[in-house]
Amino acid sequence: MEEIIKSTDHSTLPPSAESGGGLPPGAAVEKDPKYPPVVSYTLKNGLKLLILEKKFVPTVSFTMMFKVGNVDGQQGKTGLAHLFEHMAFKGTKTINSAGYAKEKPALDQVEAAARDLIAEESAASPRPEKLEELRGNLDSAEKEADKFIVKDEYLRLYKSLGESGMNAMTSTDYTGYVVSLPSDRLEAWMMIESDRFRNAVLREFYRERSVVMEERRMGESDPNRLLWEALFTNAFSAHPYHNPTIGWMDDITRLTRTDAEQFFNTFYVPNNAALAVVGDVAPAEVIRLAEKHFGIWEKRALPDRTHTKEPPQKSEKLINVFFKAQPALRIGFHNPGMGHPDIYPLIMAGEVLANGKTGRFYKNLVEGRELALYADVHPSLPGDRYPSLTVVYGAPKAPHTVEELDAALLEEIRKLGTEPPTRWELDKIINNYQAEMIKQLESNSGLAMSLAHSEEIMGDWRYDWKAGDELRKVKPEDISRVAAKYLTRDNRTAVFLREPLNQEAY
Amino acid sequence: MPISRAATSFALPPGLPEIRGLDFKPPKGDRAVLDNGLVVYLMKDNTLPVLHMTAYIRTGKINDSLGKRGLGELTASLLKDGGTLKYTPGEIDRTLEFLGASVESSMGIEEARADLTALSKDLDAALDIYADMLMNPAFAPGKVKLKRAELLEMLRRRNDDSGRAVVREALRAFYGPSHPYGWRSEEDTIIAVTIEDIKAYHANYYRPNNMILAAAGDFTSNGEMLAGLNARFGSWRRGKVEFPVIPPVQIEAKRRVYHVEKDIAQAYIVMLQRGIKRHDPAEYPLTVANEIIGGGSGLSSRLAAEIRSRRGLAYTVYSYSVKKPDYGYTLTYCGTKPETCSQALTEILRQFKEIGREAAPAEEVKNAKDAIVNSFVFKFPTPFELITERASYEYYGYSPEYLDTYVQKLSAAGPAEVLETAKKLYRPDEAMILVIGNSRKFDKPLSEFGPVTELRED
Repeated sequence: MEEIIKSTDHSTLPPSAESGGGLPPGAAVEKDPKYPPVVSYTLKNGLKLLILEKKFVPTVSFTMMFKVGNVDGQQGKTGLAHLFEHMAFKGTKTINSAGYAKEKPALDQVEAAARDLIAEESAASPRPEKLEELRGNLDSAEKEADKFIVKDEYLRLYKSLGESGMNAMTSTDYTGYVVSLPSDRLEAWMMIESDRFRNAVLREFYRERSVVMEERRMGESDPNRLLWEALFTNAFSAHPYHNPTIGWMDDITRLTRTDAEQFFNTFYVPNNAALAVVGDVAPAEVIRLAEKHFGIWEKRALPDRTHTKEPPQKSEKLINVFFKAQPALRIGFHNPGMGHPDIYPLIMAGEVLANGKTGRFYKNLVEGRELALYADVHPSLPGDRYPSLTVVYGAPKAPHTVEELDAALLEEIRKLGTEPPTRWELDKIINNYQAEMIKQLESNSGLAMSLAHSEEIMGDWRYDWKAGDELRKVKPEDISRVAAKYLTRDNRTAVFLREPLNQEAY
Repeated sequence: MPISRAATSFALPPGLPEIRGLDFKPPKGDRAVLDNGLVVYLMKDNTLPVLHMTAYIRTGKINDSLGKRGLGELTASLLKDGGTLKYTPGEIDRTLEFLGASVESSMGIEEARADLTALSKDLDAALDIYADMLMNPAFAPGKVKLKRAELLEMLRRRNDDSGRAVVREALRAFYGPSHPYGWRSEEDTIIAVTIEDIKAYHANYYRPNNMILAAAGDFTSNGEMLAGLNARFGSWRRGKVEFPVIPPVQIEAKRRVYHVEKDIAQAYIVMLQRGIKRHDPAEYPLTVANEIIGGGSGLSSRLAAEIRSRRGLAYTVYSYSVKKPDYGYTLTYCGTKPETCSQALTEILRQFKEIGREAAPAEEVKNAKDAIVNSFVFKFPTPFELITERASYEYYGYSPEYLDTYVQKLSAAGPAEVLETAKKLYRPDEAMILVIGNSRKFDKPLSEFGPVTELRED
């Protein structure tokens, strides 16, 4: 990590961070020059803080990362993690509310009306007149509750503060909330977000549920997303990585505010979160304000997270997805998970195949044989918390077919299993990784996301750097060994996107 | 320039410290001109051992000829991939990829770009390739053939994602399929492009006097960086650049509706209204008006509040305005299930009428300006993004003070100016509408919105 050492030599990181000036007991400054000088601190309630002071413009980026994703939901209630994430923009007992004491009974009326409607909708044969009546009831209850709502106050508040990039993302593994602000808004952020995660009120729930259904329909209209869903659903039969993060449409139509509140109360606790703060802020001040505003957040025990382990596949799964679009291909191979030592040679195998124009896929399939438009590898989808998939994906170039591309990809993989890569191929990958490690320090928001994710999901904010060390140790023969072990026919699910057989029929 | 008026006025949680307006003056960076006319912007930043460079070359897809649409894109994408006088394509790829460096070249609608990223220790090697690619590309025939086939394959796939296709097709219908602001490449126009065309295109546009270069990052001093650029680009000769004449934009001021039949889970709606020319001072009130109706990171705009949050009709709904040398446009986008297509479209039209009929409340205008002014600093999250922004303003012909007076000028737009601009520029009755979706499921026929022209996806 010579380059990384150089990076800290060059850094203009302020002396307060380097000397740890003004930091309370329990705060640690990373001193090893191969890492950035992140200050870490854990509140008594378990909330982990990661702070990196960086100056250029007076801004600060926040990521609040919760270890909760779709994998933590239950069958029949898929999509709950994502729907809750949408609801986290709807305010608290004081924000978006004209008076919670009066609003609460009105919201309870909405909930009662919605549950009646869902019950009728879920009946064996729903009665159309009854449905219409119940929809009317829900509509009037929502209109009544509207009287106590200050619409979109949370959003407008952040807009006025000068937010940039306010967003949230839900995956199978995690839910992350991100925003950047001018740096003198540090305490405003602390106050608002502490309120948000302690006192969320899930108002306008059923309208937002409709928004999520539209989001799902958007995915159904896009062949690319359709392919990904088909891959995960078919590759996992027992483990909850089987379920799409956005949820099955039928589940979404039956999710209730009560479900979302239970989910919130279970998983949105400080001992299930990491907060990364990167930008023009003093770490001691961040810690002081976090103690003041987040210290009162109550810790609670988390449920067991054991899920059915995905059994060994032992059969090749070939899936055809019909959609009016040009052909494409996704191949998922079960991998042993990010905690297993084989994952590093497996990541290297993917890079040997797909890294750049000197990678084997590009050189041999895009150029050489001219049968692919593109071919790439992702080391771990859909998640990192449990054993996942190493995914090879690509698209053929006409007149070549997905079958030809599939055969050519398998041939490249087979070759890798028998002929170890050259030293040049491996050095190139390591150099690229090192350069990426430096470049990822450039963006405050990107770095905040990466630190929080590494800490909360991978177990250590230094994860990316440590993984680099592991990748460097990988030997050419390790790569051939894992390619031959994991990238096999009976361990794969291949999803082919094809035009409908008879277009008139669709 | 302290923006005292940018303070927020919300009923905040008690105890919140006073939020002040933001007083931020973007750093200037440095500007130099080489003897051959190459303009250089520099900003030294030794925080990390990495360096970025970008160049604006004055051309764009609008400069293609009708019969050879795709010529600019082919040229740009082959600058590096086709090899150079000094380096074969293979040498370029191996050198750059081994260093974890990147050199790329691309063609936009109104600009060509060339980008470089490298660790500072590898700058010399990457810069040699970057300079040779700009000055002496070789356009190896095998690579030209490969790139042409790639563009043709992308063309075959251009309707796979309807959410993207709808924007392209709407602009095409709005400006006309043979006007450079609206056109797209076709199979025959890509095939028509020869290596000679590509070489001539490069020789015409890629000239030092037709280029602005910006660099930021880990270099020792401006003097040393300029010396390095001079050593590589100094002998590159000036040239007289010929630009085609772009025909004037002609937009019929009447409602037109276009429909593409497609059985997909959502209907995609794009509405286009005539916008402004690039240096029209109306951009300030227009920016505020757009922030109010459909802009920003936008869940609280009027369109998002009503169509998304209140009625749950859409996940995506927004608007933005684009300036051009001739008339630009205001684009509104919405994806909704076909069963609520007309509901969503009706509301979009109503909102644009409303904002031109009645002045927005002073509070709403103030909040919109706060949002723009207080997030202004995020235009420049890194030194490279700042210096690129400065270079782009010169490229697009803004005055040197444009960036530094932007906030002040924007702040001067009050409810009256916003109303006046909305009245003038938002004319939903004259808007063009294009919808891709399954008309059998629409809640009302599109003909309720105006005379419909049926288009085929192609």
